[in-house]
Amino acid sequence: MRSWPGPGSHLIFLMWVLCLTAILPAGQMLPLLITVLLFGLLNGGRGLSPLRRARFWIMILSIIAISPWILGQADEAWGPWRLSRQGLFMGLEMALRAICLLLAFSVSVRSLSPGEMVRLFEGVGLKGLGFALGVALNLLTTLGATIEAAYHTIRLRGGHRRPWLALKLLLITTIANALRYGDDVVKAASARGFDPGVQHPQPPLFRRADGVFALSLVAVAGVLLLHPW
Amino acid sequence: MIKEKTAGLARYTVRDWVYVAVFGALWGAAELTLGSYLHVLFPPLADTFVIGLIMAGLGSILLLVGRCFVPRAGAVLMMGIITAVLKAFSLGGIVIGPIVAILAESLLIEIALLLTRQPVRWHFALAGSLAVSWNFFHKFIMMRLLFGKGIEAVYLKMIQDGSRVLHLDVRYSLLILLILFLVRVAVGALCGWLAWDLGSAVQRRLAPAAAPEE
Repeated sequence: MRSWPGPGSHLIFLMWVLCLTAILPAGQMLPLLITVLLFGLLNGGRGLSPLRRARFWIMILSIIAISPWILGQADEAWGPWRLSRQGLFMGLEMALRAICLLLAFSVSVRSLSPGEMVRLFEGVGLKGLGFALGVALNLLTTLGATIEAAYHTIRLRGGHRRPWLALKLLLITTIANALRYGDDVVKAASARGFDPGVQHPQPPLFRRADGVFALSLVAVAGVLLLHPW
Repeated sequence: MIKEKTAGLARYTVRDWVYVAVFGALWGAAELTLGSYLHVLFPPLADTFVIGLIMAGLGSILLLVGRCFVPRAGAVLMMGIITAVLKAFSLGGIVIGPIVAILAESLLIEIALLLTRQPVRWHFALAGSLAVSWNFFHKFIMMRLLFGKGIEAVYLKMIQDGSRVLHLDVRYSLLILLILFLVRVAVGALCGWLAWDLGSAVQRRLAPAAAPEE
């Protein structure tokens, strides 16, 4: 069994950050971001991978760069441009809020493995959905090959001359082939006597440690809201 | 074409769940490849129109065709949840926006089709319209959620983009917003309309090799 933090704690943490980003004033975003980073590090740093991606920083920096032009009243001259100091501060607040939410999402939901996600669904009573998710995950590679084969077949038959017809044929062929593959999965599952409605013993989604974690988050929220930062 | 089966999730057969997985995976594959590619080409703050329209249109077509094969209440929402989970596992850095859009669009299609026991073509068109029109509100909601105060920036950006595309003066801001909204409604209706035909075409393609009912 996986030690703390489990799926329950991850969900609690995501909900906590969502609530706090909605109610915290802009000045208190920095302590919240530090809390998110600490949780990410406590979790082995798995969910902090966006910080290493250029795309993440391009998005954040673009918010800060664009804001002085489009937000607030222009009160500063920078060469030929008129910029807004208020807009720059608003951009910084927006960027901080965005980093908080994106990282919270990353360290919580995205750090769960597919197996944990399936267990999560089964834990809330959606037994078949866990099975369907497993099928979908295994289907992705097959779908790639199916789409590629259909595309090249249509292209070699002159599909580029009539692009709309080619697109329609590509969709029909891909969906039909995916459903045929699905029928094979159904036959295999039926041959094994699989029933998605049957109850399998599962460890509980929320454990005592998750409850303690939720209480500590409530305490941290109180400090963030009441302490004059 | 489709007869609605009265049942909750408990009555789903293995075939229903596998078909839910197939259509969830199809939309997921589109989001992971085409969606990620488009998001790199058009960064989130620079574009308020194109990506959402393309991905929402494609998604609504796939969900509605899926509904032809799993005519049960809740099936479209389940497909949306699977797509959202697949998107969450994608390698791209920023997925919270697309995930909210996927869930909202599948929920809107589900609600539109819940109102009818036996969907016909115009129900599909209505469901498609509802799903794609979410794209109009999505940017405002995500901006409010992610950035707090950016809603006026989105409004201005949307009007400036719309003014440039429609060759209308920015003074006609309400008209520009109305046109941008109606374009989404029309594209959604067209997607729903096409999904009806596409569903029939796939059923015809599979008919000779159709497997017996579970």
